[in-house]
Amino acid sequence: MSNGFVPVPAVIDEIIVETPTIKTFVLKPAEPIPFRAGQFVQLEVPGLGEAPFTPSSSPFETDTMEITILKTGLVTNRLHELEAGERLGIRGPFGKGYPIPKLDGQTVLVIGGGVGLAPLRSLLYHLFGEPDCCDRVTIKYGARNPAEMCFKRQHEGWSARQGVDFTPTIDRPAEGWDGHVGLVTTLLDDLDLDRSKTYAVSCGPEVMLRFVTWKLLDVGFPPDRIYLSMNRNMSCGMGICGRCNVGPYYLCKDGPDMCYADIQDIPYALG
Amino acid sequence: MKYMGTASLAELIRNLARDYDIYAPGRQGDAFVLRRLDLERADGVDVPWNPFRLRESLKPLWFQTSRILSRWTADGPEPGPSIRPRAIFGAKACDLQALTIIDKVFREHTHPEPAWCEARERNLIIAGDCTESGESCFCTMVGHAPHPEAEFDLNLSPVDGGYLVEVGSPKGEALVEEHPALFQEASAEHEAARDENRRTMRASVEAQNAPYATRDPFEQSIEKHRKSRLWEQLAATCVQCNACNMVCPTCHCFLLVDVDAEDGPVRVSCWDSCFEGGYARMAGGGTPRLQLVERFRNHYFHKFVSFPRNWGITACSGCGRCVDACMGRIDKRDCLHRLETEWLPSDTLEGVS
Repeated sequence: MSNGFVPVPAVIDEIIVETPTIKTFVLKPAEPIPFRAGQFVQLEVPGLGEAPFTPSSSPFETDTMEITILKTGLVTNRLHELEAGERLGIRGPFGKGYPIPKLDGQTVLVIGGGVGLAPLRSLLYHLFGEPDCCDRVTIKYGARNPAEMCFKRQHEGWSARQGVDFTPTIDRPAEGWDGHVGLVTTLLDDLDLDRSKTYAVSCGPEVMLRFVTWKLLDVGFPPDRIYLSMNRNMSCGMGICGRCNVGPYYLCKDGPDMCYADIQDIPYALG
Repeated sequence: MKYMGTASLAELIRNLARDYDIYAPGRQGDAFVLRRLDLERADGVDVPWNPFRLRESLKPLWFQTSRILSRWTADGPEPGPSIRPRAIFGAKACDLQALTIIDKVFREHTHPEPAWCEARERNLIIAGDCTESGESCFCTMVGHAPHPEAEFDLNLSPVDGGYLVEVGSPKGEALVEEHPALFQEASAEHEAARDENRRTMRASVEAQNAPYATRDPFEQSIEKHRKSRLWEQLAATCVQCNACNMVCPTCHCFLLVDVDAEDGPVRVSCWDSCFEGGYARMAGGGTPRLQLVERFRNHYFHKFVSFPRNWGITACSGCGRCVDACMGRIDKRDCLHRLETEWLPSDTLEGVS
């Protein structure tokens, strides 16, 4: 019988410092852990605890897995103290991930906030890895300040790709920043995108998801074209321990990327 | 159908004790409770007949309050230890219905819960008809009967100074075949006596729950109160003690806790409660269902709306233990009745998440 509670051991191969609060851990699992973009894993610090993360690496790469982590709680604080060579555990992958088949021939509007760009990067690797799978990719990315921008070394490469436009923004003006200033929602006012041919996919803090959703509805996106990477406390990862429910859905099993049309009648689903 | 005398039942228990740990009813004051039978220390087999379900749920015999699911060794993580098989006496229809309910999530699932599945396969269940109705019993209100219909290996119906024995599984069949001396063929009179008791019992449970009778499906009456302030009234005396979750044979929420044990890190699965304030708390601080009334409502939505939608059955077996355990005297039957019959403006309490 498959036992979803026993982790696969993994060694930290490399640690990349992304921002003062965010690090990417390059992990080498003892056996490959294939996943689809948007699916998540439970990463375990043995003897301390686990936390759910969606890998930020390419789903086509199975020898190593990259997980980009914000220092924000018991497990993530410890993870940030670890060094290359240490042993962790990985369970998963869990959840459904992004609605990849639906993106076929469509425009994909990717909206990220802070460390929320991590799962979206995995989606980008997928979209860029299969050039015919979507028509066009528009990326809107917001961070608190320039220092808190994730994956800065890749921004230029993304912007340079054909069919891709990438616009970063920061919350408040900062010295040396000549790009857009304002919350990520301010980048959604003048979208030159066909609402009937575009899927919006967003990941970020819950409050951001709420305002992004309202803005997208305001500018004419239908609820079934909005996908949100939702946040809840997940323990088992398989839809059996009970805690991550939003109405009748278990985010770990039915998400974590939910179609807004499915949750719009569940008040407070977005906090 | 078979028939067995009370002495034969004692003999069967003695035989089973060789291969199984025996869990059976015992008396504690006026109550019937679950106990582990130690035949080596006891003078004889003293297993009283419990007329209705035991005071506590049998759930821990399959779903331990805490259990090790994985352990790190030098070679990497390994599954947790196996359990000893148990033979369980005194199970009633509501306990067995609870197994059907939890099986949906822990067994008939793409990711089974290994400890539950192992216990379900190893444990032997000798169930029994109800011969009295407990004050809080309400199995008929949730569509069930006070006699077992599935999930048992053998079921006993008291008749004629002994028991009519129904076989419910290949394991039960084997048990009968291995002990030919303990079983006789049952008569038509035995079956008639059993059926008469079953009719009387069903009528008795229905009669005592007549004041709570509802017409609409629970799903419908709960759904229409999604935002009603009635929940505040229903939850007014809830002190969040979690007793209803703990005694419930169908509640199955758990939390994985990692412990740095002396002989290596282990992952322990512990019972959890949806009434706990921190039940859904996330890293970074957000807590869905911050107010107790939201958690109270979620409990009802889960059992009577979401679970039926996801799995096709109601997540309540009508055992009534939550009614007995509640120090705030919250009676689920009364709540379900009020949800159908009372109405308060629907735009005042914020939604369910």
